[in-house]
Amino acid sequence: MPVTKVLTAGIGEVDLRGIDAYRQRGGYKQWERAVREMRPVDVLNLADKSGLRGRGGAGFPTGRKWSFLPKDKHLRYLVCNCDEAEPGTFKDHMLLEETPHQIIEGMLIGAYAIASHHAFMYIRGEFRRGYEIFCAALEEAKRAGYVGKNIFGSGFDLELTVHRGAGAYICGEETALLNSLEGKRGEPRLKPPFPAVEGLYGMPTVVNNVETLAYLVPILERGPEWFSAAGTERSKGYKIVSVSGHVRNPGNYEIALGTTIRELIEIAGGLRPGRTLMAVQPGGGSSACVFEEHLDWPYDYESLAKAGSMLGSGAMVVFDDTTDFVKAAYNLSRFFAHESCGQCTPCREGGTWMTRVLDRLVDHRGVAGDFEMLLRVSSGITGLNLCPLGDSIEPFLKSVMVRFPDQFKSRIVAPEAQPA
Amino acid sequence: MPGLEVTQRQHDFPALLERLIPECVHIIAQYEQKRSALLPMMHLFQEHEGYVSADAMKAAAQMLDLTPAEVESTVSFYTLLYRRPVGRYMLQICRGLACSINGAEDIMAYLREKLGIGQLQTTDDGVFSYEEVECLAACDRASCMQVNLDFVYSLTPQMVDEMLAAMRSGAYSTPAMAQTEAPGRTWTISQESDISRGKKSPGAVGVPLPNNAGGVGDRSGIIMLDRIVNRDVAFFTQTSERAVVDARQVVEVREEEGSHAGH
Repeated sequence: MPVTKVLTAGIGEVDLRGIDAYRQRGGYKQWERAVREMRPVDVLNLADKSGLRGRGGAGFPTGRKWSFLPKDKHLRYLVCNCDEAEPGTFKDHMLLEETPHQIIEGMLIGAYAIASHHAFMYIRGEFRRGYEIFCAALEEAKRAGYVGKNIFGSGFDLELTVHRGAGAYICGEETALLNSLEGKRGEPRLKPPFPAVEGLYGMPTVVNNVETLAYLVPILERGPEWFSAAGTERSKGYKIVSVSGHVRNPGNYEIALGTTIRELIEIAGGLRPGRTLMAVQPGGGSSACVFEEHLDWPYDYESLAKAGSMLGSGAMVVFDDTTDFVKAAYNLSRFFAHESCGQCTPCREGGTWMTRVLDRLVDHRGVAGDFEMLLRVSSGITGLNLCPLGDSIEPFLKSVMVRFPDQFKSRIVAPEAQPA
Repeated sequence: MPGLEVTQRQHDFPALLERLIPECVHIIAQYEQKRSALLPMMHLFQEHEGYVSADAMKAAAQMLDLTPAEVESTVSFYTLLYRRPVGRYMLQICRGLACSINGAEDIMAYLREKLGIGQLQTTDDGVFSYEEVECLAACDRASCMQVNLDFVYSLTPQMVDEMLAAMRSGAYSTPAMAQTEAPGRTWTISQESDISRGKKSPGAVGVPLPNNAGGVGDRSGIIMLDRIVNRDVAFFTQTSERAVVDARQVVEVREEEGSHAGH
């Protein structure tokens, strides 16, 4: 299956940042059609019918997520999550800098579907350039009358506020994002209540990923059947996969879900000459590795779950035989330890301890019992935290420890440490 | 470099504040609740002061009806808000996994050597600050870094040389950051006392990284970890939060230990 350019159409060929270039390709037509011809519930039904699932990581059906909003509360918010920081993921970064209007139109349609009059765009602090591009695009959209009061003379009002984060991976977790948006520390909240019931400022809120919202535009344009025709039975439609690591042409590739992992690697140019594949991390830093025997499995939510991993944010990192998996495990463990918000003890302490052990293994100074301890501590962290960050330490580590135990065990040189 | 030398804080904060108040009012008006304006306001002040000064935090607290503690607690959570002055060029290089397996470590070592500083440090002339940061979402163009938050992709040693030279001569394409106060050796507060006592210089050659206490040369973390994890019985019979045989060792170890995560 080849690359299918939907959201990525035109990127790298023409400059799509200006509103005129976007309109020439049919931009904002779907927004106009939605407001003029459709009721919010019609838009929601279309999204539901298309089978679109959240593209940020959890893969929750978008239409269903929207339907959880309480019917009796009319003040509600839509928040677009552009706090992309999952190791290996770089699709939202590209969309933000290359096609900001597509994101704006998707956000407008999404906000209309849930009848929200105030939408927020939360942009990762590091994306300063993307923030400037997005703000400029938003100004154009406001001037054109697509955002603001009485849009297209329909009486529908919609404000869009851009909010820049300030450096914190955890703010990609939706409740941490809401806290950050409220001007607080980006610490995840206890759930329930879920944001759909009590979100931003205590009001019903939907948080959707950039890519999810952007897909609303082509879904409205070409119909839900077009979208659901692609993909597999339960993983429908298209997805932008960020392929990086040891491939010849790393980059963002938009594919129909269900394309095999092998095909994806080939799309990205394949491995470097003379190298053999060791592992593939299919869904960002939080996902477990899959191996050679999974290469012909389809890249979709269900198959990857069956393979013991997940699709996550669609970040595929490919490792060849030059990879030091102890170092790789140390790298990710350090990442999660560094990004832990510190609320939950298992994640805060466990991540740090494991990073220390992995560090000495990297250094060939492992101590007897380290191997078992890593497995024990990582499984001891999982499931005991407010949010999935702590649980994200185990999958990659465990998958490579089980697969390549010798890389770890060969670095254990010292007998068990004795108390002084 | 002309105009780059700053020896002491310019006491013009009231004037700056007066200039920025209209923009702050505009930011606050975008949100249903005032407090939401905190991060954008801190970005704004940092843009003008080069860091988030105590004055800026106090002013924000006043405008947003918060206590200074609430403001500082929030500001300290975010790594892009600097609570101490930094260099005019903040060099943030990606240490994420995709960059690491594509040679980022060599580039980082090269950059550290060229600058003569380590993780989270600022050069004596106040021009450069260096930080190894987590994944910057540009894995297809590894190794990557940000200079004052502008991306630079596919780094090579030659590019590093050219960039540093351009920055030193003031000819670099990304403008330098404002600098209203001469920076210290580091802008992180958690390790500052340790550093002033000469106990720790994070990330320097042979010294463990601050986010990696217990790393090379630091046995404290390792021994403690072994005691806690390998000795379940000792762990559960001790009531103290840290399970060790001798309580005095906890104190010793704690003193040696840096902050484990974040800054």
